[in-house]
Amino acid sequence: MTSFKLSSLKIFAAAVVAMTLAFTAISPAHAEAKKDFKVAWSIYVGWMPWGYAMDNGIVKKWADKYDINIEVVQFNDYIEAINQYTAGAYDGVMATNMDALAIPSAGGVDSTILLICDYSDGNDVIILKGKEDLADIKGQKVNLVELSVSHYVLARALEKIGMSEKDVTVVNTSDADMIAAWSTPDVTAMTTWNPMAAEILAQDDAYNVFDSSELPGEIQDSLVVNTQTLKDNPAFAKAMTGIWYETMALMSADDEAATAAKTAMGEASGTDLAGYEMQLAATEMFYKPEDYIAFTEGNLSELTTFVTSFLFDHGLLGQDATSPGYIGIELADGTVVGDESNVLLRYTTEYAKMAADGEL
Amino acid sequence: MTRVTVENVWKVYGDQTVLENIHFETEPGSFIALVGPSGCGKSTFLRMMLGDEAPSKGRILIDGVALEDEPSPDRGVVFQRYSVFPHLTALQNVMLGLEFAQSPVMGRLFGRKRREARTASLEMLKSVGLAHAVNKYPSELSGGMQQRLAIAQALIKKPKILLLDEPFGALDPGIRNEVHEIMLRLWREEGMTIFMVTHDLSEAFKLGTRVIAFDRVRNRPEEQKAYGATITFDLKVDGKSAPPQPPVDATLAAAAQ
Amino acid sequence: MRRLINRRPDVAARFGLMILPFVIVIIAYMVASDARLSVNPNDKLLPGWSTISDAIERMAFQPDQRTGDYLLWSDTLSSLTRLGIGVGIATLIGGIFGILQGLIPYFRASFNAFTSVLSMIPPLAVLPILFIIFGLGELAKVMLVMIGIVPFLIRDLALRTAEIPHEEIIKAQTLGASTWQIIIRIVVPQMLPRLIDGVRLSLGAAWLFLIAAEAIASDSGLGYRIFLMRRYLAMDVILPYVAWITFLAFALDLALRLFQRVAFRWMYRGN
Repeated sequence: MTSFKLSSLKIFAAAVVAMTLAFTAISPAHAEAKKDFKVAWSIYVGWMPWGYAMDNGIVKKWADKYDINIEVVQFNDYIEAINQYTAGAYDGVMATNMDALAIPSAGGVDSTILLICDYSDGNDVIILKGKEDLADIKGQKVNLVELSVSHYVLARALEKIGMSEKDVTVVNTSDADMIAAWSTPDVTAMTTWNPMAAEILAQDDAYNVFDSSELPGEIQDSLVVNTQTLKDNPAFAKAMTGIWYETMALMSADDEAATAAKTAMGEASGTDLAGYEMQLAATEMFYKPEDYIAFTEGNLSELTTFVTSFLFDHGLLGQDATSPGYIGIELADGTVVGDESNVLLRYTTEYAKMAADGEL
Repeated sequence: MTRVTVENVWKVYGDQTVLENIHFETEPGSFIALVGPSGCGKSTFLRMMLGDEAPSKGRILIDGVALEDEPSPDRGVVFQRYSVFPHLTALQNVMLGLEFAQSPVMGRLFGRKRREARTASLEMLKSVGLAHAVNKYPSELSGGMQQRLAIAQALIKKPKILLLDEPFGALDPGIRNEVHEIMLRLWREEGMTIFMVTHDLSEAFKLGTRVIAFDRVRNRPEEQKAYGATITFDLKVDGKSAPPQPPVDATLAAAAQ
Repeated sequence: MRRLINRRPDVAARFGLMILPFVIVIIAYMVASDARLSVNPNDKLLPGWSTISDAIERMAFQPDQRTGDYLLWSDTLSSLTRLGIGVGIATLIGGIFGILQGLIPYFRASFNAFTSVLSMIPPLAVLPILFIIFGLGELAKVMLVMIGIVPFLIRDLALRTAEIPHEEIIKAQTLGASTWQIIIRIVVPQMLPRLIDGVRLSLGAAWLFLIAAEAIASDSGLGYRIFLMRRYLAMDVILPYVAWITFLAFALDLALRLFQRVAFRWMYRGN
């Protein structure tokens, strides 16, 4: 009987250990020098070059140069990619500055924007049905992905014409269903992004009443990496920077190779060369490291405060946040916007400068 | 008083002949016992009497009029199982027949009509010895009580013909005798014609005024399909229209074999 | 040593064995959560008990800053309303079509194949069509729940109806019942408890469709909140919501079972 009890106890202990292992399989990446790196990305005009670089050996070339392994993994779901990064399963992720602040940084994961791929220059659009003026949005239901960049664009647009979110009703709608939603009669106002926005605007009664070209530089599509991983593995940062600017040089040239690259990227995002060119037109790509350095060393602190006040107003900086500056943001020159003792998001131009100087 | 005429009735399923050339006529107030081995088609015959199935050839007449081709209230029935409705109490089961007749839309009676139906039903339950169980559900009744309930439920409609499909087959011998007595008493009181299918010869001779046996005459394997069962004997049980005889004698049973 | 199939735990052992898996999961969660929190105190994936209880306090007992609603309760009310209407309509349609399909040969000939095919269509795959027909508001959510479970209810009830012993139907006819009287006095009363069984079995699917509908376009509801919170990995809110949904589903099932026992005593008497 004793032995029976003893063996029961052993089985119990084993079950606890097994379950614990199952949970800790998703444990945070322990920072240390290492050789294998994983970066998550999802389909978006400014991030398509990453997929192209992975498929065409550019990633491998740079990884080999620094004697490391880099895997650039495509996710179907943008948020899931960020969540995986936040949980520690990935070393880097493609995300907007706003989501980087709201998800990993607010979740205590010290993150660095290693480089900004582009900023939205018209890709995010407020669309009204049958009305041409933004002010007509008053009192309407607005379909959008709540708490996303679309929501931010709406809040900023309303602010600019002296209204606030209280003047509209926000209906959370899945991005995958935006186009279908638009064709139903009870949907009259929407905020969404390309390529859905372009598809919807092609219809007769759809009017672009506001887009992100009026918010230049506020929505930055970035490569976000774990700060500790970055410190311990400069080779990873160098390789990623090298990959990006080589791909940028390739696609921004005026030759057949550039056309072929952009055609491949367009097809990978479900459109063709013309469609992809149209999306690029609404996107300010940072093709050269110098462009990125100039932007990051410009009026970033002002742009950043728009984002932090939006996040604070919506409770996205965490429940303990007492002000928009609750999470400190370190700019490229070392100055901090917000709380200096709680810096969880950082900008850097260190590696872009190496690229500019040809030192990679 | 009802006279049933069965004229050259055949029943064929596909290429399988089940019954062939069944032909007889009954006197009013008869208690006909149908016997025969399993699979001889006696239940099929009962279903044709019910109107649940139609003869392939021939016809069945009641007082010279062809049988309706679906079940109707002039022919009551008691099956071996599932004769009563499980969701209704004993009283509700008996009242049901009266409610159907008087309330085509709701299927329920209210007020005075309901009280009348209730009184008649209680009377009927009493006559089958279920006065103490009127508010019980069938699942709370024993097998014998369920069959008595089924009989009461059928008789409240005063059918011309009562069809019994092995009604007592699942009962214990003691209970069975008890129900036999009730059945005979009601038969004499109501004066209806009864057809009872049974595989128990002593029961057939104890209750019936006439015993009709169905069987296959040709039994060679190659003949199985083409030839069905037919009437192999047809015996009057004497002196049965008055008080029934005590248990059947063994010689008669032997003769039947 | 007796065979394993013949060895039965006593009452105490049964209780112990019942709670054992729960205890294992909870202990494992605590260990893993502690491990993650020691690395990053703000970890969102496996929050500690205090974070979770703060979130419960915030969602259930404090009014929301923007709307003034108690979010957990207003979400619960929206979701249960949608679920209730959707399942209610589905039950009504399932009851009517199931009984007709099980009882009336002409009706069966016309609808049997149709409902079988219909039940094979995954409703989520034809969502855009549902949007066009029913819009994007409350109606669409209720309809998704309804369409999600109604084919099952119809088929289940048609089978149950067909299982009513043929003898009962014959007997009713010999008592003079018309088709209509057979339906309202014999079939419907016997099928109501079966219909409740069917509803109990399809409640899981109903929740699934409800949460999917709320994830696609909504401004309130339990599924809406979970998908919104997922945007910033607020597991401290999502985990209590999941537990709450589980509890609600369990309570609904229990309530239906009790109702069945009280309302349909004939099924449980005797035997």
